[in-house]
Amino acid sequence: MSAEEADRKKNLYHFDRHTPEYRHQFEAITAEMHARCPIAWSDTYGGHWVAAGAREVFELARSAEYLSNDHDVNNERRGYKGITIPTPQSMFQSGFLEMDPPEQRHYRQALNPYLSPAAVARWTPVVAELVRACLDEKIETGRIDFVDDLANVVPAVLTLALMGIPMKHWTIYCEPIHAAVYTPPDSPDMAQVRDRQIEMYRDMFAQLKAIKENPRPGLIDALARAVINGRTPPDLELLGVMTLIIGGGFDTTTALTAHALEWLGEHPDQRERLSRERETLLDSATEEFLRFYTPAPGDGRTIAADCEIAGQRFKEGERLWLSWAMANRDPSVFPGPNEIDLARTGNRHHSFGLGIHRCIGSNVARMVFKQMATAVLDRMPDYRCDPAGAVHYQTIGVIQGMRHLPATFTPGARLGAGLDETIEAMRRVCDEQWLAEPVTVRTATAEIVR
Amino acid sequence: MKVHVDPERCQGHTLCAMIAPEMFELDDIDGHSSPVTEQVPAGQEARVAEAVRSCPEQAISVSGDPA
Repeated sequence: MSAEEADRKKNLYHFDRHTPEYRHQFEAITAEMHARCPIAWSDTYGGHWVAAGAREVFELARSAEYLSNDHDVNNERRGYKGITIPTPQSMFQSGFLEMDPPEQRHYRQALNPYLSPAAVARWTPVVAELVRACLDEKIETGRIDFVDDLANVVPAVLTLALMGIPMKHWTIYCEPIHAAVYTPPDSPDMAQVRDRQIEMYRDMFAQLKAIKENPRPGLIDALARAVINGRTPPDLELLGVMTLIIGGGFDTTTALTAHALEWLGEHPDQRERLSRERETLLDSATEEFLRFYTPAPGDGRTIAADCEIAGQRFKEGERLWLSWAMANRDPSVFPGPNEIDLARTGNRHHSFGLGIHRCIGSNVARMVFKQMATAVLDRMPDYRCDPAGAVHYQTIGVIQGMRHLPATFTPGARLGAGLDETIEAMRRVCDEQWLAEPVTVRTATAEIVR
Repeated sequence: MKVHVDPERCQGHTLCAMIAPEMFELDDIDGHSSPVTEQVPAGQEARVAEAVRSCPEQAISVSGDPA
């Protein structure tokens, strides 16, 4: 290494976010990096930069002209490796999250009218019904697993509805997506996970083909009709986009909800306060749970041209990890960063990412989380989680999630039909009211007559 | 006090409209924000200041007399 190279990479930090130690030592590692090396060079995974400081992550994420998300799977451009470090075995591009403008922008423009705040608000009554049904399945027993019985279910069913896939297919999609994240690659369970993924992709491809032949509204229809930089994308590329929507729509909101319910269960006084003062506190509490638990902890980038950003010199082709999770604990932006303050102000957290690749589903995530959380506060106000049964993901390199969160509560009365019957009723509502149309075509909120 | 949202920087995080719903409106199609009026009415200054502080893209700025 030349003297210039050594000087450029003098802030060394051995960073491996895929180890259980990183999860267990997260706050100590984060504090050390903020103090010593808010941008560090790590020798792991072929060598890459790690941005941990809020100012550094902010400046980098918004420097789209110097950063590339491109995953050049067929080696047709510069061979860049996309947003995952290390590079996965998969030869799939993760949709427009692994593209640069203008293609990336064209995809977002095609999908925005389905996912804007106004578009998402139309679905609120449908989500409320799905949540009600999930809780009704368990309300008489006094026992629920907040992951398996609620937080895994509602985001999955709604995401499929937004896409234009039959909601009852959620069981084909839910577990493979969840399991692919929490199953270590060397686990003996991985073969079974792959089998279920194949089944899922088969259904996805069938849905795309069916919608191309017989259009029905939803995100897939928008993709099937999209012209991206003057061309009609091949099916394989569209499957990558569909996988991105499903991956982004399912496990992230599940992770946020599970962690928030776990914390509220451990802090009954705060739970009562949130329930009582939800008119003023629900928005800030939601943003605070997003900040603290950062379901998607970061994104990779490739440096696209030699540059200096946030005081660090970078060379074209180098890999970079932007840690939203660590930036969210930076004390220079978030006083008392390791404490949850439901009324926190100035909470400009990074949990949906920053810049042109910011999460396109953030409005869905917030709405679904709020519906699930408030319904639990209303109907199971005294729930107690069972710490012995709670299972967190072993590592937090990809998603900071939970596998199980069992709880007990004082049983209550059912309010309506069970989940399967409710999904069928919501299918009719979606079909009859054309809910999956973009907001440019349909603006009315769902009407549900019970 | 005047408020401005830089349309190039705004990415539609929507926090400003949560904090000061009377001051910021969100585009129906992409959720990007714009001020309802440039001039901040009396009584809205503190909320607008909080929106400035909370914008993840630092896209909101204020100018002129803070009162």
